[in-house]
Amino acid sequence: MVKNFFYLVVFACLFACKPDPVTPPPTPAETARINVNPTFGSVPLLLDSIYQGPNGIKIKISDIKFFTTLLTNQNNNFAQVAYFDLRNNGNLLSEQTLDYTKFSSLSFILGVDTTINHDDPSAFPNNSPLNIINAGSMHWGWNTGYIFISVEGKADTLVDGIDNFDLSYSYHIGTDLYQQAMSFNNLNWVKTAAHQHTLTFNLDMESFFFNPTQPINIPSEPFTHSGAGLGTLTQKVALNFKNALSLQ
Amino acid sequence: MKRIFFFSLAFFLLSSCNKDKVGYTPTPYQLQIPSHFPAMNIPSDNPMTVEGVELGRYLFYEKRLSGNDKMSCGTCHTPNTSFSDSAKYSTGIDGIQGNRNAMALINLGWDSFFFWDGRAGSLEEQILGPVPNPIEMHQTWTAAIGKLKKDTYYRNQFYKAFGVEDFDSSHAVKAIAQFVRTMISGSSKYDVMYKIENNKPLTAAEQNVVIDPEEWAGYDLFKSLNGADCFHCHNGPLMRVAKFSNNGLDFSFLDLGRGGITNNPNDHGKFKVPTLRNIALSAPYMHDGRFKNLDEVIEHYSSGVHISSTIDPLIEYAGQGGVQLDAQEKLLLKKFLLTLTDYQFINNPAFQDPN
Repeated sequence: MVKNFFYLVVFACLFACKPDPVTPPPTPAETARINVNPTFGSVPLLLDSIYQGPNGIKIKISDIKFFTTLLTNQNNNFAQVAYFDLRNNGNLLSEQTLDYTKFSSLSFILGVDTTINHDDPSAFPNNSPLNIINAGSMHWGWNTGYIFISVEGKADTLVDGIDNFDLSYSYHIGTDLYQQAMSFNNLNWVKTAAHQHTLTFNLDMESFFFNPTQPINIPSEPFTHSGAGLGTLTQKVALNFKNALSLQ
Repeated sequence: MKRIFFFSLAFFLLSSCNKDKVGYTPTPYQLQIPSHFPAMNIPSDNPMTVEGVELGRYLFYEKRLSGNDKMSCGTCHTPNTSFSDSAKYSTGIDGIQGNRNAMALINLGWDSFFFWDGRAGSLEEQILGPVPNPIEMHQTWTAAIGKLKKDTYYRNQFYKAFGVEDFDSSHAVKAIAQFVRTMISGSSKYDVMYKIENNKPLTAAEQNVVIDPEEWAGYDLFKSLNGADCFHCHNGPLMRVAKFSNNGLDFSFLDLGRGGITNNPNDHGKFKVPTLRNIALSAPYMHDGRFKNLDEVIEHYSSGVHISSTIDPLIEYAGQGGVQLDAQEKLLLKKFLLTLTDYQFINNPAFQDPN
């Protein structure tokens, strides 16, 4: 009887020591990331650093922010909205858990599409860039909706060799009139991590400010908030920004 | 007989030791968020409970959190000043003054950084600070918790809120944070104006609110790029944007503000943009309380702006010293600022000292 009991205990112990069946770890999801690399001409752009334009004017850029919406191609949606904020989010525009191979092309609205631009900014989900908590200063507090593009900084308008950034500039592009459609083909997704592929855009701020065909004259054109009286400057800023954005 | 007495005494002592035991069945707290506000992010490790909020209210007004038992959070954040301090600088228990004005506690559940320089990244982290601060309440949390543990109410309430008997500072700050998250202001005249402007439905009570034409005119000025131009930093239901800004107070900086935290010269002289809600109640103004009243604030933005290396680019008329409002415009702007007062908020019984 004692012997049987002993065997029973030994068997129980051995059984208890049997390792749990090993469950293979889940395969990490594939993510597709879109980056925007700001440059000033051929050099990487750093916020608050000094850059000089062809006319000798020195500028510092303190913020670059913009919204894109309805990121899609003919068959697949990448994201409803993507928000770029260089100071707070680095060069990330959007990262989604999806198969990058479905996106050999991509179209989007540079700005916030009319269908959502005038929605209640408090009603978007908390994780949406359009929620007022996240959008913050990129939302005008009334029905005109969101600021699509915001470029802010300072300029040294006296070409005298002394750094004296005496002039602030801020270009705020918004209102439905200034939405711009963009489309890119033959996208070059690069494997950047084990389960991540990245698409990179360049944003050339030298060409934004000093576009050969329509440069922004900062001393005489330091501000626009897309109001009716500044339509020409607003159009120029919006178009220059669009043209400064290209595939890497 | 002696034996019976001994057992009776033992039974009495044992049962008396259990008298403050209570159950742990926390009740989820339903925040009353105004219809025009975004949802509030609640930290997953500090869910709101009725018991936690109640405990937090007691702790907010608990003077035993200070070294001399004479100072609570509520000492420098009084309801009638919209939970700020009417003194330029608050004075701690040792008679030492700080160098910054106590901020008003309004709608902090939507903030993601705290203090004028943003050095705390959560409400819980912020609340940890003042108790051990030598120029504020000047007491270690260990000592403060030791005092609370002698109090049956707190032993019971901490257990009811968190299910712990051996509570510590982490539980105390969580409770206070829960209470502060309930301090929501969304019942001012401005809220009615905001809803009207954004075509949002008004409640029956709101439909009876009369907005003076001068208040509307002041609001127009507030938003006008060629008027007071305030909206870049103060807009939306929260009446602030989440950023640090140098609003042109000084040519150079005695207090580096955000720059003192980041050690980045580009942040020198920048401070957290505060909400303008209840602004009429929370004087004095600015991080150092330099302006005694709203007239002085308006005058600053009108003609007193100083250009410096980090001035906010959005202060577009800095080059001419400010937005240059005339007397009538200043009057209208002030009228609008008064619409931001929410008496329902400051008089809410749930936010008052329970003792």
